[in-house]
Amino acid sequence: MKLEYSGQEKVQASPETVWGFIQDPNKVASCLPDLKSVDIKDDKNMVATVGVAVGPVRGSFKFNIELDPRPEENKMMVRIRGGGLGSAVDLTASADISGQADQTTLLDWNGVASVSGPAATVGGRVLDAQAKRLIETVFANMGKKMSEA
Amino acid sequence: MAVESTNLEPKGIQGLGKAIKRKEDPRFIVGKGNYLDDINLPGMLHMALVHSPYAHAKILSIDTSEALKIPGVKAVITSKELAGASLAWVPTLAGDKQMVLADGKVLYQYQEVAAVFAETRQAAADGAAAVQVDYEPLDVVVDPFKATDEGAPVLREDIKGNMKGAHGPRRHDNHIWTWDVGSKDETEKALAQSEVRIKQHMVYPRSHPAPLEPCGCIGDMNKATGRLTVYMTSQAPHAIRTVLSLVTGIPENNIRVISPDIGGGFGNKVPVYPGYVCAIVGSIVLGAPVKWVETRTENLTTTGFARDYHMDIEIGATKEGKVTAMKVYTLADHGAFDAAADPSKYPAGLFSICTGSYDFQKAYAQVEAVYTNKAPGGVAYRCSFRVTEASYLIERSMDVLAHELKMDPAELRLKNFIQPSQFPYPSALGWTYDSGDYEKTLKVALDKIGYAELRKEQAEKRAKGELMGIGISTFTEIVGAGPSKDFDILGIKMFDGAEIRVHPSGSAIVRAGTRHQGQGHETTWAQIVSEELGLDVDKIIVEEGDTDTAPYGLGTYASRSTPTAGGAMALGARRIREKAKKIAAHLMEVGESDVEWADKKFVVKGVPGKSVTMNEVAFAAYTNLPPGLEPGLETTYYYDPPNLTFPHGAYICVVDVDKGTGEVKVRRFVAIDDCGTIINPMIVEGQVHGGLTEGYAMAFMQEIAFDEQGNHLSSNFTDYLLPTSLETPKWETGHTVTPSPHHPIGAKGVGESPTVGSPAAFVNAVVDALAHLGVRHIDMPVTREKVWKVLRQAGVDSF
Repeated sequence: MKLEYSGQEKVQASPETVWGFIQDPNKVASCLPDLKSVDIKDDKNMVATVGVAVGPVRGSFKFNIELDPRPEENKMMVRIRGGGLGSAVDLTASADISGQADQTTLLDWNGVASVSGPAATVGGRVLDAQAKRLIETVFANMGKKMSEA
Repeated sequence: MAVESTNLEPKGIQGLGKAIKRKEDPRFIVGKGNYLDDINLPGMLHMALVHSPYAHAKILSIDTSEALKIPGVKAVITSKELAGASLAWVPTLAGDKQMVLADGKVLYQYQEVAAVFAETRQAAADGAAAVQVDYEPLDVVVDPFKATDEGAPVLREDIKGNMKGAHGPRRHDNHIWTWDVGSKDETEKALAQSEVRIKQHMVYPRSHPAPLEPCGCIGDMNKATGRLTVYMTSQAPHAIRTVLSLVTGIPENNIRVISPDIGGGFGNKVPVYPGYVCAIVGSIVLGAPVKWVETRTENLTTTGFARDYHMDIEIGATKEGKVTAMKVYTLADHGAFDAAADPSKYPAGLFSICTGSYDFQKAYAQVEAVYTNKAPGGVAYRCSFRVTEASYLIERSMDVLAHELKMDPAELRLKNFIQPSQFPYPSALGWTYDSGDYEKTLKVALDKIGYAELRKEQAEKRAKGELMGIGISTFTEIVGAGPSKDFDILGIKMFDGAEIRVHPSGSAIVRAGTRHQGQGHETTWAQIVSEELGLDVDKIIVEEGDTDTAPYGLGTYASRSTPTAGGAMALGARRIREKAKKIAAHLMEVGESDVEWADKKFVVKGVPGKSVTMNEVAFAAYTNLPPGLEPGLETTYYYDPPNLTFPHGAYICVVDVDKGTGEVKVRRFVAIDDCGTIINPMIVEGQVHGGLTEGYAMAFMQEIAFDEQGNHLSSNFTDYLLPTSLETPKWETGHTVTPSPHHPIGAKGVGESPTVGSPAAFVNAVVDALAHLGVRHIDMPVTREKVWKVLRQAGVDSF
C-alpha cells in the first residue's frame, strides 16, 4: 500500500534553530510519538522502537532512521525502514526549509511511504487516518520543542 | 418439487429417494464431532509460521536467535534446514514445484518463511513474531496481463531460461503453459460466416473457498516403530499418503493418514500445503507430535484460491438466434507456483465444457497460465475443475447474445438446447454428454417462477422508471472424474473404492476412499447399501478417512463421490448379492436359478410367500453355508467409471435494483436441478441451498483483491465477506430426473451444481434490470458501489 502526503508547516523558530534541531538525532527521536527506546548509531543514523496501533495490528515496530541533511539545497531528507508484527514500512520524506520575514521557518514537506503486511492488509482502512495523525503529532512535537529551544 | 417437510427417521430399510435424516448429524448437534483441533496427543508441540510482509523480495538474512530465547520455543526451521532433508521444494499437483519455506526470495505476501516449534501455541506465535528477516523488496507483478511484458520482473528464478514447461513450451519466464482444444481454423471460418457476432470480456475474480474450519494437521512420527501417523484436514487422504511417501521416502505402509471430521473443504483441503510438510518434518526431527492449525488470515492468504480467469469470448449466430460457433481466450492467473488441483492431462481442468447446454457445431478454446506475485492455488472451489468459470462464461454470454439479437433469453436458450434425441452427445470440444433434457428442466423453472407474468411486470416497472431484472442460467456440469483412460492425478487413476462387510447379525460396516466434509456420505452410502442389500439403514455404519482401514480412492471433491464411490458401493453390494443368492438358494432348498431378488429379499420364482431376507442370509454366511462356498459376506469394489456424468439445471433469479443506492435485492430464486437419480432428496436440497448461498456470495460479495504492491486486501472476514442468514435469499428448489445411463444407479452428483450454475443467474438478473439503459455486462462481485456507478454513468437519477 502506497501512501503519499505533503504539506507545509510554519515553525516559530529561525532557520538556524530548525537546522540545528533536525540534525540532532536525539532531538528528532524525542518528537516521535509512543517512543519506547532509541539507539543512536551516529549523527545520521538511529534505531527507534515505537508503539504502533493500526486497527487490530498493535505492538512495537523497530525502525532504522537515516537523517540526510542537505544544507546547500536547503533540504532535509529522512529515510525510514523497518517494521514489526509481520509488517514492513519504507518511507522517504523530504522538506524544503526556508526562512520567513517574520523570523519563522517554513517547512515545505512531502513523504512517500510503502506499507506491507498486516498493517496494510488488515489495518488498511484506518492506515491513512493513523498516518495523518502521526505526521501531525511529529510536527506538533517539533514545533513545540523548536520554539522552546 | 419440494422435499417433504417431515423427514424420515433413519430406521429400517431406506433406499433411494428417501428423505431420511442424516445419520451423522446427532454427533455434530451435541458437539461431539471430532475435528483436527479436537485431537491432542501426549507431549504434543505446536507450530507457528513466519510470513512475508512483501509480495516479492530477496531474503538477505534470517535471524532466529531472539525466537529461540522465548521460553517454550524448541526449534526454528527455515528453507536451509529443509534442504538438508531434500524438502526445500516439493512437487505440485500441476507438474510444477513449490517452495515449502521461502528459499532465497519470497514470491507472494504472507508466503511462509520459517516455522517455529514450541510447547504451547502461544509460545510458537511469540517465537514466530521474534524471527527477524531482512528483505530487499523487488518489483512486483500483480496484473496478469503485464506478467509476460518485455522487461517484467522474473518471478521464478529457479526455472529462468528453461522454456520447457510441464504442459508444453513456455514463451516467457512468467509464462506457465498454453493449452487449447477444438479447431481454431474451422471455428474462425464459421464465425466469419456468421450473421451475428458478439464479443465480451469478463472476469471470474479470484475467490477463496474459506471453509469455516481452516486447514491443519498433526504430524506424529513414532521413532520406535518408524511409523508416521498424520492427522490432516484432507479431502483426499489416500492420495496424500502416496504423495507423502513419494516426497519423504518413507515406505507407504509406514504412513497412516487420518482425516477426522472436516468443517467444510470446498476444494481448499485437497492440496499439500507448506504447513503440513513443516509439521511432519518437525515431528520427525523433534520426535514429538507437532500440531499446526491455520489462522483465518493464513487460510485466506496462503492456501488454495479459486478462479482468477480473465476470459474473452466470441459467439456467432444466425439472425434467428441459432448459435454457430464459439471462440474463447482465457488468461489464467496462477500466482507464484502452478499448484492448481487439476487432473494431470487437463491443466485448465474441464474448462472445455464451456459450450454448455447448447449445440455449437464449432468451438475453440485457448487458456494461457501465467505467474504473478500472488499465492498459488487454482483449486476447484465447489466446482469440478474450472467448470464454474466455463458455465459462468457461456451462461453470461448467452444473455449478451440475446441482448444483441433483442431476443428473450429464455427463447434463445430453448432454440439452442441439445435435444434429448442427441444423447449421447459429442460436443465440439470433445466430451460425450451422457443424458439430459434441458428444455423440460427450463420449462419447469419458467412455470414455477411465472416467467411470462414477471416479464409483464418488468415492462410496467420500466415504464415507471423502476428497475427489475430476470436472470436465467441453464447450465450443464461435467463431474465424476473420472474414467481412468483420461483421468489421473500424479499418475494415480481417478477410480474410487468401496468396502462392504456384512456381519452375521445383519448389520454392516461400509468404507469408501472418499472423505465427506458435510456432504452426508454416512447417510447416502448407507442408503445405497440398504437399497441394494435390503439391510436396515440404521444398522449400516459408514467410515471414511483412515487410510489404514478404508479402500483406496482419490477423495471427495469435484462432485465425484457419488459418480465414483457411489458406483463402487452399488456394484460392491450387487457382488455381495450374487454370493448371497447362492446362500439363499441353499436356505430355501431350491436351485440358484430359481431364486430372484424382489422387493428387497430373495424369493423363489413362482412360489409366493417363500422368501429369505438378507439378515437371514447374513447369519447363514457365517453359520450354515452351502458346501464349498467361502464363509463370510463382504467385498471390496473399485469402480472405474466409463464416462463422466453431466448434471444440469435451470435457475431463474428475480432482482429489484434500488436506483438511488445501487442495492440489489434478490426477490426470488428458483433452482431446478437434474442430478439424475436422487438418493436422499433432503440432502440434495441441503447441498443446493449451500451451493446457491456460495454462488450468491461470489456474485455479490467476494473477491480476493490485491493492491499495486501485491498487498492482500482480503485477509480476514471483515474484508472477505461470507453471507449470513441476513443476506441469504430464500431459495425455491425443485428437480427433474434424467438418470445417467452409465452409472450403476443413474446418479450424477449434485454438490457443485448450485455454485456452478447460480452466479450467471444473479449477474444476468442485474444486467437484465439495466439492459434498457445500454448496460451489457458487469463483472463480479456486483457490489452496490459498482451498480451505483453504472447507474450514474447511465444518467439515471437517484429518485
